[in-house]
Amino acid sequence: MRLSSLKFFLLLALAPVCLRAQAPPQIPAALQAQLQVAQAPVDVTSPVTATAVFDPPVVRVGEKTFYRVTVSATESAIQWPEEIAAPVALKFGANARGQITQFLGNNFRVFTSFIYEIRPTAAGHFTMTNFTANASGPLVEIPAASLDVVADGASPQAARQLGLEISATNVFLGQPFRVRVTLPPGPGNEIEALREIQFNGDGLMTDKTAARQSIEAVSVNGQLRPMFACEMTVTPIAAGPLKFSAQGFTAGREFSGPISIHAPVSLSGGPAKYVLLVSEPVAINVRPLPVEDELPGFTGAIGKFFRNPPQLATNRLRVGEPVALKLTFHGEGELTRFVPPATPRTRDWQIIADPPPATSFTLIPLTDDVHETPAIPFSYFDPALAKFVDLTIPPLPVTVVGESLPVQLPALDEETKSAAPVKLSAPAPAPGKTVASLKPLQRRGWFVGLQLLPVAGFLALWQWDRRRRFLEAHPEIVRRAQARRALRRKKRQLQSAFETGDAPAFVRHAADALRIAVAPHYPANPHALVGGDVLAQLADAERNGRAGETVKQVFAAADAQFAVDAKVQADWLALKSELDAVLLKLEEKL
Amino acid sequence: MSDLRFAICGLRFCPWLRHSLVLAEFFLAVNILNAATNDFFARGIDLSRAGQFPEAAAAFENAAQRQPAAGTLVNLGLAEWQRGRAGAAIVAWEQARWIDPFEPRAAANLKFARQVAQVDEPPLKWFEQESTWLPPNAWVWLAGASLWLAVGALVLPGIFRRRKAGWQQTLAALAFMVFLASLTANVGVVSRTQIGFVLKKNAPLRLTPTRAGEIISTLTAGEPARQLRARGNFLFIRTTGESGWIESEDFRRLTDD
Repeated sequence: MRLSSLKFFLLLALAPVCLRAQAPPQIPAALQAQLQVAQAPVDVTSPVTATAVFDPPVVRVGEKTFYRVTVSATESAIQWPEEIAAPVALKFGANARGQITQFLGNNFRVFTSFIYEIRPTAAGHFTMTNFTANASGPLVEIPAASLDVVADGASPQAARQLGLEISATNVFLGQPFRVRVTLPPGPGNEIEALREIQFNGDGLMTDKTAARQSIEAVSVNGQLRPMFACEMTVTPIAAGPLKFSAQGFTAGREFSGPISIHAPVSLSGGPAKYVLLVSEPVAINVRPLPVEDELPGFTGAIGKFFRNPPQLATNRLRVGEPVALKLTFHGEGELTRFVPPATPRTRDWQIIADPPPATSFTLIPLTDDVHETPAIPFSYFDPALAKFVDLTIPPLPVTVVGESLPVQLPALDEETKSAAPVKLSAPAPAPGKTVASLKPLQRRGWFVGLQLLPVAGFLALWQWDRRRRFLEAHPEIVRRAQARRALRRKKRQLQSAFETGDAPAFVRHAADALRIAVAPHYPANPHALVGGDVLAQLADAERNGRAGETVKQVFAAADAQFAVDAKVQADWLALKSELDAVLLKLEEKL
Repeated sequence: MSDLRFAICGLRFCPWLRHSLVLAEFFLAVNILNAATNDFFARGIDLSRAGQFPEAAAAFENAAQRQPAAGTLVNLGLAEWQRGRAGAAIVAWEQARWIDPFEPRAAANLKFARQVAQVDEPPLKWFEQESTWLPPNAWVWLAGASLWLAVGALVLPGIFRRRKAGWQQTLAALAFMVFLASLTANVGVVSRTQIGFVLKKNAPLRLTPTRAGEIISTLTAGEPARQLRARGNFLFIRTTGESGWIESEDFRRLTDD
């Protein structure tokens, strides 16, 4: 127990050492200064209010009017009903919503507008009754609004709308195109700015950084009237037919960013009136890119681009030394979304892309084997030609020299002199000692196989010695083998004598063959044997039969040749077939 | 035409003539190979003198690939050193010493290069040190010859029914001693085939065999290491201080042709 307490207190004592706080993140000085400036608060204490109007409040039958509700709360805070109760004669069209922040001197106030396009189908006085909406807790009452629909013939004021013009209606996926949102002047040709411009529709990406504002003179009913215009770049990100409209808040004199004015302008005084306006929808057709024809190095650049010849800072380099490859692209159309070539990966070069918007590269040779810079694949899609165009950066010739390593060390004094030589040797004048391969014989299969040859030799010798010892112990085997060999030899001589018709030689060889065939059975030298010895080796039936008679005739004929008046009888050769049969039987016994 | 027919008939019926021609073809091929190797060697020498070291290195490398030779590898190392490739130069000189341990230029250049590049010699075990006394192939021939000499001296007199003489037994004992001594050297040779050298300066040693693998450390060109295994394009090597994976193109073993 005491030990546990001790451990606990020790842990507590060491806690400050072990548990160190994380280092606070370093904030840049400019950002720190901005954070230190007191920012105006957002007004969240004022009660949420709402207004509802028809714009214009008087229309003809079938004409367009807008039912606009403005609530002083954020868009996300308002739980807006899906459907609004309205008179049957009011036909609802497209709707939109938007949020804007108004600076009221010492604080910000957020307003959200809901706008419905309405076309009345009958004349009369119509009222949208009041209703409530939840604004993150408190219920806000939307007041009633009235619309007078007059019969044909009257000329009430038309509904105020944004204009929407597009530079292309048939585009490729990813092809940026210009969209122009215009705001016609109000009563008295007063120009107002537009804020919070956005496009309603799926499959579009808006680049607000490339927006250009201007005030231009536009001919309306034969009269030149100033008009606020804002040009933006839109990129389709989905293929197929797309439909979209624009919306924005009128903002009085609150022009955001630079504006170019090309017409006489009168600006209204007083605080801005933030009114949400929408435009008529426009339709475009987005075609997919022919990906099957895509060329290497396509980074998504769509348009028409050109490239100046690449410029290398120097064409004589050292290994590891960076060199700048300057690339300049220019093109027709939108360059804001131009994606420079991707950095290729090669073994011999380290390639670093310069930070955007620069399109240049820094190249570092890693070896002196290279003789040109790497080709940098790049291509773009030309929508006019509807095909990919190759714009690869070609390789440029370079000379790369290796890192310099010393070939000689400075002379050292006696104390610091080491055993190592102070310079490299001279080149070898001849190739010198050679080998078939650097892989040693120990690692080669054939050499291991070669070692089996002596083993096989020794095994053969051992086997030979065993056989020899066996034959020494069994001499009859040797005698029989020798007899078989001698018999075969004698048979050949017998056959030869028979074929030549040499009867004396025939009977001589026949007698010798018979002696050789029976010699191992005694054992005895074949020359010491007589016809009786041969007959003794025959079976009784054979001995008394034709075989025995043949043997006797052969030996008689052979003996007769030793007589003084030896007579050769031609019928000796007729014994051949019987003799062969006898020899065959005797050979089988060997 | 009749001469050709006669020659063909001669080849068919004269085996000795046929064998002679095959032998002549073999020697001709060997001579052509040697001539080409010598051409590359001479070209490399000329290019080195002209200061065109990348081209000289390529010529010597060609010659060495056709027939590895100690002098060729010495010159290849010199050309690589002049190009600033310390790792490749050290490998070439080590290979020259592998072929001919008595090559003085390779030994001197290695000492010089290691002093400049501040890299160590590969640490060798005692049996590996022993294996450096002779060329690797000499050890294996020595082992084979001594073993079979010992066996023959013991066995053959019995087989041929000769009296075992004292000198035969002494010869067998001596041969067996030589065999035992060369056996350890052969183990050393096999063990040394794992040794290789880092080729590239600041070659990354990674924890895993992928290019995205965490870099444990960077290795100096010419640093010795032992290759333990390979996986894909990566080799697992052990240097004097650490182990890790290196790209195969950044490392070359002594026995890599």
